[in-house]
Amino acid sequence: MVLNPFFQQGSPGEQSLVQDLINEQLRMYGVEVYYLPRQYITKNKVIREVIQSEFNNSYPIEAYVDNFEGYGENSVLLSKFGVQATNELKLIISKERFETYITPLTRNLPNIELATRPKEGDLIYFPLGDRLFEIKFVEHEKPFYQLQKNYVYELSCELFRAQDEILDTGIEEIDDTFNVEGNIRTFTLVGSGTTATAISGRVVSGAVNQIIVTSRGEKYNHPPAVAISSAPTGGTRATGISTLRDDIVNCDGTLIGEKVQGVFIENPGSGYIVNPGIVFVGVNTNPGVGAAATTRISDNTVGVVTISDGGGGYVSAPTVTFSAPGGLAGLGTTAQGIAVVSAAGTVSAIYLTHAGAGYTVAPTITLSAPDLGGSGEFIPTETVQVANNTSITAVVKTWNSVTNELNVSNVTGEFKPGDTIEGLESGASYQIRIAEDDNTVNKYPDNEEIQLASTDGILDFSESNPFGNP
Amino acid sequence: MFEYFYHEILRRTIISFGSLFNNIEIKHLDSSDDTVEIIKVPLAYGPQQKFLARLEQSPNLNKPVQITLPRMSFEFVGLQYDASRKVTTTQTFKSHAVGVTTAIRKTYMPVPYNMAFELSVYTKLNDDMLQIVEQILPYFQPAYTLSVNLVETLGEKRDIPVVIENITMSDNYEGDYKERRSLLYTIRFTAKTYLFGPVGDTASASRDLIKRVRVGYVQDDSSTPTRDLTYTVVPRATRSYDDNVVTNLAEDVGTTTNILRVNDSSGIDENTYIVIDNESIYVDRKEGNTLFTRRAQDNTLVASHVGGAAVNAITDADDALIEIGDDFGFDGTLL
Repeated sequence: MVLNPFFQQGSPGEQSLVQDLINEQLRMYGVEVYYLPRQYITKNKVIREVIQSEFNNSYPIEAYVDNFEGYGENSVLLSKFGVQATNELKLIISKERFETYITPLTRNLPNIELATRPKEGDLIYFPLGDRLFEIKFVEHEKPFYQLQKNYVYELSCELFRAQDEILDTGIEEIDDTFNVEGNIRTFTLVGSGTTATAISGRVVSGAVNQIIVTSRGEKYNHPPAVAISSAPTGGTRATGISTLRDDIVNCDGTLIGEKVQGVFIENPGSGYIVNPGIVFVGVNTNPGVGAAATTRISDNTVGVVTISDGGGGYVSAPTVTFSAPGGLAGLGTTAQGIAVVSAAGTVSAIYLTHAGAGYTVAPTITLSAPDLGGSGEFIPTETVQVANNTSITAVVKTWNSVTNELNVSNVTGEFKPGDTIEGLESGASYQIRIAEDDNTVNKYPDNEEIQLASTDGILDFSESNPFGNP
Repeated sequence: MFEYFYHEILRRTIISFGSLFNNIEIKHLDSSDDTVEIIKVPLAYGPQQKFLARLEQSPNLNKPVQITLPRMSFEFVGLQYDASRKVTTTQTFKSHAVGVTTAIRKTYMPVPYNMAFELSVYTKLNDDMLQIVEQILPYFQPAYTLSVNLVETLGEKRDIPVVIENITMSDNYEGDYKERRSLLYTIRFTAKTYLFGPVGDTASASRDLIKRVRVGYVQDDSSTPTRDLTYTVVPRATRSYDDNVVTNLAEDVGTTTNILRVNDSSGIDENTYIVIDNESIYVDRKEGNTLFTRRAQDNTLVASHVGGAAVNAITDADDALIEIGDDFGFDGTLL
């Protein structure tokens, strides 16, 4: 024994007294912070790093803020990667409190590497300023062995760098820290769709009720204009609209540009006595050649279809159904039509593919309903998926039921407009109307703007962008 | 001496460069190789107004986390004259003015400049960095060529090679725990662009269009020859530029007939041209509202027309509106 045996150099009782005094001081002068242990979901081998982490638990603990004078000057800087906050924090927590309170609770959590001490990589939620700090270093020997023991941990923390970590502690004020950070995508969902309505008149005599394409022609680069012979005096000239398709191959195997797919009747006209002529007039230069069609006329057809209410929330064209002609049962032909949906999700036009025959009264027109709005409310941090497709999922960040905007992160596949998105926990189900590619919450990314600017007359991508178009 | 001009060439090259890297994705797989996340790597032009950045990226002052990663940024960092691509300064080239069909524009040969770019990639994980870099590098051997519309008023497209110069890798994982690991790769590129001077604009058609061609034939070789024969040709419009609809067809017209009936022939003179749909037709004579014609003139194709189709007359007004580049119905390539 080389030390003086009459001095104890710290008995367990004294050590415990010091620890108690420190614990008490921390409770009086400290701040209640939350300790969030990191759960290591996926680790990369060889290139050693954790590529997937979750923070699903939080434990309030008292901590003394060592840098009581604040974060220091100039903690926010503008870098080439946008604004970065470099706030650092030094916290002192009680060793005993950690070991007797947090260790027992975290020891048995799945995917926890170490529970006996606070560890680097774990997070601290600091309520003053609503910030998330990551522990950079844990100093355990400061002050140095007072009465032969250490009583506190000093945690050196710096603001967390977010990526795709899942923060699901169940405490809203912690979980919402990530609502504006992380790699977020925004979907605008179909809120409340309304069914479009349309009305139509009736043409008593001599209307074009059918246009039959007899030759599709070839090399069209723009839908040709459709010209129909004018009606005799007192009648109305019929008008039509052509459509193209580009996937038809000639008999000899050659694929020669786009061909005329069909002609829709915009206005059936009236007063025709014989089937009027119809020609296709190419527009632009190199307009294409060879398309031809014939017309059929009939009395008592459907007239021009007027949209009385464009509805809303349409992602794809609704089906158009005309009531059957009245009069004698079994006589006449029911009209058929197609609808055109605008970018805003409303029905912008209805054209006739067959104007029908034998109508004694104007028909009633019924359009199929859009997805009449989803149901339910998404819950933050729940998983959502494309209906019946478990491989395309995402995690909800925020849900705004007024604007129908859903912010998600951790996207595992492509969500497309028209897909139905389902909340696995909430059971909410909505159809996607717009899927934003860029992160519109965090204002840094400019991918979409750069793409738009470059395609606006700057880049000639006839050779195509090898990196694809976002 | 100096006049104002701005073609936005530097800006256009910056945007073109950025568009190469705006759709790079990274994927995270879990231990059973299922995709757990796909991130489109955010890209932005690095330099920006400081107050704007603060306003947009930390609107409520308290930034809850330091930064969201991964991120990429690019920056235009230098401009250097490239003597190896220099061409004769006195050469000019002309072009149809885009959007102004009656004018020709002219400019001197451009001066070649190399624009230096830096693409910086900042990631949290090394795995992300490797994914990003590996998706970029194979396209540069060592250049990738972009077709950029450098001068919009000329419609001048140039192939701009973007050459990869070097890559700096920084991964400061060593050292004490006060500094966090930060993975930062910087790839330097050179875009070989051209800067154009002011573009001369001959806006008036009268100075540049040949309005009349006269050819004189001379028989003898005396010192004071006199022309024996002179041919004069005045170009005429082959299209109806002013869309002057004078009447409509009274009935359907097939491709074989030369007799056309119109609603009102008073606006059509004999020995003039009319255009129906895209077909040019010469009117030999008219009787009442019936026209006796020659079909498919000026290299147009004979086509059927329906009753009610618009009949456009070609008049002197159309001659005055002839656009530069009009081939007057001649085929062949216009150089």
